[in-house]
Amino acid sequence: MTDTAVRVAGLTKKFGAFTAIDDVSFTVERNKIYGLLGRNGAGKTTLMQLLTGQQFATSGTLEVFGASPVENARVLQSLCFIKESQRYPDSFRPQHVFASAPWFFANWDDAFAARLVEDFRLPLNRPIKKLSRGQLSAVGVIVGLASRAPLTFFDEPYLGLDAVARQIFYDRLLEDYAEYPRTIMLSTHLIDEVSNLLEHVLVIDEGRILMDQDAEQLRGSASTVVGKKTDVDAFVAGRDIISRDGIGGLASVTVAGLGEAERAAARAAGLELSPVSLQQLIVQRTTSTTGSATLDETESKTDAWSTHS
Amino acid sequence: MTVTDSLTGTAASVHPRSAPARIWNVVRLHLIDRRTYIGIPWLIVGMAFVITIFIAQIVGFTTGGLGTPDAIEGQRYSWAVLSPQWYLVVVGVQAISFGFPLALGFGVTRRDFYLGTALLFLLISAANALAFALLTQLEQLTEGWFIDTYMFNALWLGIDGFWVDLFSFFVMQLLVFFIGASIATIYMRWRMPGMLVFWSSLALAIVGAVTIITFTSNWPAVAIWFGAQGIGGIFAWLLLPAAVAGFGGFLALRRATPKN
Repeated sequence: MTDTAVRVAGLTKKFGAFTAIDDVSFTVERNKIYGLLGRNGAGKTTLMQLLTGQQFATSGTLEVFGASPVENARVLQSLCFIKESQRYPDSFRPQHVFASAPWFFANWDDAFAARLVEDFRLPLNRPIKKLSRGQLSAVGVIVGLASRAPLTFFDEPYLGLDAVARQIFYDRLLEDYAEYPRTIMLSTHLIDEVSNLLEHVLVIDEGRILMDQDAEQLRGSASTVVGKKTDVDAFVAGRDIISRDGIGGLASVTVAGLGEAERAAARAAGLELSPVSLQQLIVQRTTSTTGSATLDETESKTDAWSTHS
Repeated sequence: MTVTDSLTGTAASVHPRSAPARIWNVVRLHLIDRRTYIGIPWLIVGMAFVITIFIAQIVGFTTGGLGTPDAIEGQRYSWAVLSPQWYLVVVGVQAISFGFPLALGFGVTRRDFYLGTALLFLLISAANALAFALLTQLEQLTEGWFIDTYMFNALWLGIDGFWVDLFSFFVMQLLVFFIGASIATIYMRWRMPGMLVFWSSLALAIVGAVTIITFTSNWPAVAIWFGAQGIGGIFAWLLLPAAVAGFGGFLALRRATPKN
């Protein structure tokens, strides 16, 4: 057994003239939690559908546990794909889902599922059609967690879940992951909420992988320098500037990759250094590639940034 | 929890299941809510039977006698025996339209899903055929449930005996399921364009056949041909469209993708 769960090379998926996934290559290591981050329509769901054999690739290679997942019963039995838009038969109730799931997920844990049902206060006997959006999401989250599949995909799993329920999801995910290590890929908009969960980050934008980085490294990869405009400008001159913001004589500039010596130099120059949150970093990186055409020009921050791009 | 799981305390692998087990699990998935395939169809049969009793009584009251050969022959034209079929064609549609996205979400291959679904159709068709053929026999034996009310002994059933009833009902049931399922599969594979092409070509094929038979003045020949087949023969021919729908559905579903 290798340490690689997923290997993707030159993967492309076109829907007619539209290229949803554009020549993407990456690998996913076993027993890590991956965040698949990106804007709406960036290709997150399509990528997950390709990885789970639900969609057919236009070109490129795609290996999950050493083989193509398409129509591969051995591979598919090791996967669990929870998507926000999962459909259930009209007559189904949550109890039907949880009663049938063990037939398809060999590692299913009934006791864990029952505990999650209580945690999320899910009515087992109510028709799925009559569940609230959050309760419907809870059904998927419970299946995704209790199935303990070696490779689990959560695609925007918590639509409509309240803050308490989302926290329960993160807590249970981490607890169970610690006890039963497995590979998890989570796509989400709420980057800051999950940022402590993620060990590796894949950022996708317009069908391309924009970032494929260890989460810890990524967090340390940029810092925001705050201080007097003249001091800041002097310090950041010649550096890789990610974003720039300022009010009056003050400036706040986010720059990439500061070493220990440089940090010390900044502090000596009377500048303040603050870490950049994963969300800020990704927002800045993804907006900078799409160009000013898609940005809201009325936003001062954007204006300040776009003049420097 | 599986054995490997409790031994190693990791979720890194799963014990693979054999193909028959996987296919059987698809059958179980379809049947997890027994109302869909068993409860509601038989509820419809029950309701149809109650209504049939009332109508038979009305007919008896106005014509002055139910047990007469005329009255028994008259009740042959009732379609009550087929009343659950309108529901079951929808069940065939939903087996694909709801079952396919669910099964794929559960990590089932398209092949296993289709084979399991087809096996379910075969089993339900066989069970329904046996039940309706037996009920037809029982109805004849009890002379209309002792109240001269005939529902199962209707249309083509109860004419050529138990075995023809069994075979014909089986084929009819299978056709109903596979027609529903194949239409849903065409939609699943080709969405709206597929529906448009399918329905317009079907309409063209029917109109074309009628036109050709009419212009060549072949209607009497067609009638003679049908008469020569007998009930068993006609239903044997109907196996052909059932098989086309069944195998065609398999080929179409192998490349289908679930809707989002």
